[in-house]
Amino acid sequence: MRRLLAGRSRWTIVAGLATLFVALYPVLSDSTYYQDMIILSLIFAIGAVGLNVIAGYGGYVSLGQSAFVGLGAYTVGLLSLHHPDISPFVWVPLGGVVAGIAATLLGVIAMRTRGHAFVIITIAFLFLMQLVMLNWRSFTRGSSGISLPIPQWDVAYQNWPFYYALLAILAGAMLASWRIRRTKFGMGLIAMREDEDKAATVGVTTPAYKILGFVTSAVFPGMAGGVYAYYLSFIDPRGMFDIVISVQIILSMLLGGRGTLWGPVLGAFIIEPLNELANQQLGGGNSRLLIFGGLMTLVVLFLPRGIIPSAGVWLAARRRRGAEAPMGTRSDGAVPRGRLALRAPAPPGGGAPLLEVRGLSKRFGGVNAVDACSFEVQAGSITALIGPNGSGKTTAFNLIDGTMRADSGSVWLDGQRIDRMRPWRRAHLGIARTFQITRLFKEMTLLENVVAPLRSFSLARLNAVAISGPEAKRAEELLEFAGLREFRDEPAGALSYGQQKLVEFVQVLMLDPRLVLLDEPAGGINPTVIERMAQMIRELHGQGLTFLIVEHNMPFVLGLCDPVIVLARGGPICHGTPDHIQRDPKVLDAYLGEDFVLDEPVGVGS
Amino acid sequence: MTDFVQTLVLGLLIGGVYALLASGLTLIFGVMNIINVAQGAFLILAAFVTYSLWTATGIDPIAAIAITAPAMFAFGWLLYRFAVVRIRTASPAASVLLTFSIALLLEGVMGLVWGNTSHAVRPSYFNESFHVGELFLPKAQVYACLVAVGVLGALYAFLARTWTGRAIRSSAVNPEGAQLVGVDIAAVAALTFAIGVATTGAGGSLVSVLYPFLPGSHYVWISRLLGIIVLGGLGSLTGATVGALLIGVGESMVTTYIGPEWATAVPYGVIFVVLLVRPQGLFGARLREDVAV
Repeated sequence: MRRLLAGRSRWTIVAGLATLFVALYPVLSDSTYYQDMIILSLIFAIGAVGLNVIAGYGGYVSLGQSAFVGLGAYTVGLLSLHHPDISPFVWVPLGGVVAGIAATLLGVIAMRTRGHAFVIITIAFLFLMQLVMLNWRSFTRGSSGISLPIPQWDVAYQNWPFYYALLAILAGAMLASWRIRRTKFGMGLIAMREDEDKAATVGVTTPAYKILGFVTSAVFPGMAGGVYAYYLSFIDPRGMFDIVISVQIILSMLLGGRGTLWGPVLGAFIIEPLNELANQQLGGGNSRLLIFGGLMTLVVLFLPRGIIPSAGVWLAARRRRGAEAPMGTRSDGAVPRGRLALRAPAPPGGGAPLLEVRGLSKRFGGVNAVDACSFEVQAGSITALIGPNGSGKTTAFNLIDGTMRADSGSVWLDGQRIDRMRPWRRAHLGIARTFQITRLFKEMTLLENVVAPLRSFSLARLNAVAISGPEAKRAEELLEFAGLREFRDEPAGALSYGQQKLVEFVQVLMLDPRLVLLDEPAGGINPTVIERMAQMIRELHGQGLTFLIVEHNMPFVLGLCDPVIVLARGGPICHGTPDHIQRDPKVLDAYLGEDFVLDEPVGVGS
Repeated sequence: MTDFVQTLVLGLLIGGVYALLASGLTLIFGVMNIINVAQGAFLILAAFVTYSLWTATGIDPIAAIAITAPAMFAFGWLLYRFAVVRIRTASPAASVLLTFSIALLLEGVMGLVWGNTSHAVRPSYFNESFHVGELFLPKAQVYACLVAVGVLGALYAFLARTWTGRAIRSSAVNPEGAQLVGVDIAAVAALTFAIGVATTGAGGSLVSVLYPFLPGSHYVWISRLLGIIVLGGLGSLTGATVGALLIGVGESMVTTYIGPEWATAVPYGVIFVVLLVRPQGLFGARLREDVAV
C-alpha cells in the first residue's frame, strides 16, 4: 500500500511539474511557434476532457464534439460582428451557454435511445450544423466566413491572453471532471457505462444522467471554441464543423486514457504535435487523414484502454510480481463481520400487504411466461417464490422492478400503483432487486459499486460526494456487513461469484429499500456463503425489512421463508407455510408432472 | 401537377438506388450489431474503381458492377478477417470508431490515388432521357434503378431461399439459437460483412454515373444511408427499402420546392425526428425483452 501511494504521489509530482511548465511557458520563452502549438493542444485538451465526461465515464461516444467548438466559435464570431467595440472575450461564456443548450436539445432526442443511436445523432448534428452555417448566408455569411476583430493589446504580449484564457477553461473543465468522478453523478455515469439496465434498477435516472453528462461535455468546448475563433480571427463552416477535429478530440481521449482525469490532456499534447507534423511537413489533407485514421485504427484495436490505464496496469503488475496477490487471500464469507442497522427501519408489519400483484401477464411470442398472476407480500415477511424452471419467477421479478413492462395487470407497492413507472422510480419508492446471474459494475471498485445506487433524484444529491464522507461511510458499513470491507478498492470483476452475490445484496441495500427482491441468492455459491447470506437476511428481517426471494435451494427456502408461494406455468398454484406446501399434491404435480405416481418407496428394492 | 409527378418519379428512381446502398448497412447491423460507418467510403471507392475501369477500357459503368461487386466482396471479407473481427464483442463505441477510422484511411488513400477533385462517369446515354407523356426520365437513372432493383431482388431471394441466406437471417434474429442449430456464426458474420460491402460496392458503380464524387463525398453518403436505416428501423431490410424510397422522394421534393442546397438536410432531419418520435423506426423491432436476465 505504501509503495502504491509512493507511486501515486510520484505521478502527482510529474503532473504538477508539467502543469507548472505549461503555465509558465509564455513567460519563459518567446517562441510563438511552440506557444501556438500549446494553444491548439489546449483546445484539443478541453474538447477531450469534456468528451471524457459523456464518453469516458458514461460510455456514450460522440463524433460531434467539434460541433460544440464550432457553435462556441460562431456565437463569439457573430456577436463580435454586430458589436465590434466589445472585446470578443466578453462573449466567451455565451459560447459555452449556446453549446450547452444545443447539447440539451440533442440529449432530449438521444435520451430514449441506446447504444448506436447516440453516435448517429452526433454525426447528424455535426453535419447539419455545418450545412446550416453554409446555407443560412444572411445570418452566418455562408462559406465566406466571419472575420473577428484584430487583438488590440501590445505585441509584446504575443498570444498570452488566448493562452491563459484557454488554460483557465481547461482548469475549469478538469475541475469539473475531477469533481464528477467523486460524486453520485459520476458513479451513476460509470455504472451506466458498465450496465445501463442494471443501473436503472438501482435508481440511476439514466435519461437525466445522459443529458447532464452531455451538457457538461459540451459547455467547456463551447467556451474554448469562442477563444479559438478570436485567436484565428477568421472562421468558416468547413473549418469549424470539421469531423476530423472530432476525431482528433476522440483520439486525444482514447490515447491518453478514457475515464481518467489526465489521460485526455496527455493525449491532446500528443495528438496536436502530430497534427502539426501532418499539416506542416506532410502537406496536410490526405496525410492528416492517413495519420489520424491509422492511429485510431491502431488505438481501437491494440490500445483500447489508453496510455495511463495501461501503464497503471503494467506498473501494478511489476510491483506485485512475487508478492502475495490480494485476491489470493481466502476471504471466509462464513464469518459474520459487522452488524448492520437499517437507516430507515420499517414499521412493524401490521399484516398489510406491502406488495400486491394483480392479474399480471407477460407473453414472449407464444409463451405466456406470466399468466394472470396474483399474489401478495405481507410487510415484514420473508416470502419465497418457488416453482419449476420456466414457471415465470424471474419474469415476475422483472415486471415488479420495471426491467420489463407487463402486457396487462398491475403491481402495487403499499397501495401505490407502480407498474407504469420506470425502474429508477420504483427503486426510489423502495424496491431493490438482485439478479440471478449477478450484475455488478465489473470495472468499478466494490466501494464504487455500493455508492452508485441513487435513493432519490435531485441535483443536490447528484452533486453529493460519493467516494468519501457519509455515503462512503455507509458503503463501508455495508461492505463490512458482507465481510468484504478489506476489498473495497478492488474491482468487482476480480471477486469470486459468491462474493459478488454478497456485494450485490449489500449494494441494493444502499437504496434503503422497503422490499428486497432476491433472485436465487443461494444459487451457484458454496455452503458457507449460503449460510452467511441467510444470516444477513435474518438480521435485516429482524429489523423489519421485507423480502421476496426466488430460490431453488429448498433447505434454504424452507428454513428461512414464510410464507412460500409456488408458481407453475406463470401463476401461483399454492401458498402457505413451508410445512403446508410440502404436503400439497399440486406442488408435487408441478415439480414432477401429473403422471408421476409414487407408488412404491424409491431406493432399496425388495 | 406535372412538376409534382416528375419530382415524385425522380425521387422514386433515386430511392431505388438508395435502397441497394442501404441494404448492406442494415444487413451488417442486423447480423453483427455494428454500425459500419465506412459504407460511405466503400461506395465512393467503388465509384472511383468504376471511373478507372471506364476511362481505361470504356466499359459501361453500370455493367462494371460485374467487376466492382466481387472485388468489393473480397475487400470486405479481408477487412473483416483482419480488423473488424477483433471488435466483434467490443462496445458499440469501439465498432463505430474502428469503422470510422477505416473510412478516414480510405478517404486519404483515395485522395492520394485519384486526387481530391470532383470526378464523374459520363457514358454516351448520360444526357439522354426517356419521354413518357409529359414526364422525362433520364436514361442513366432508369438503368441504375432497374439494376439496383435487380441486385436487391437477388439479395432478397438469396436470403429467403438458400440455406446460407437462412443462416444469415437466423444469426440476425438470435445468434445463440443459430449456433445451437449448427450455424457457424463466425463464418456467417464474415460472409455478411462481405456481402454488405459488395452490395454497397455495386451501388457505388451506379452512383458514379448519377452524381459527381470526390473522396470527401463519403460523409454525405453515410449520413444519407444512416438516415435511411434509422427511418426504416435498424437491421430491417424491408425498412431500408421503404426508408430509401421515402428519403429519395423527400430529397427530390426539397430540391424542387425549397432549394437543392437543403436536400442534404433531409436525412439529418429524418434522424432527429425518428429518434425522437419512434426510436425503433418504421419496421424495427423493439429490443428482445426476454433476453434481459
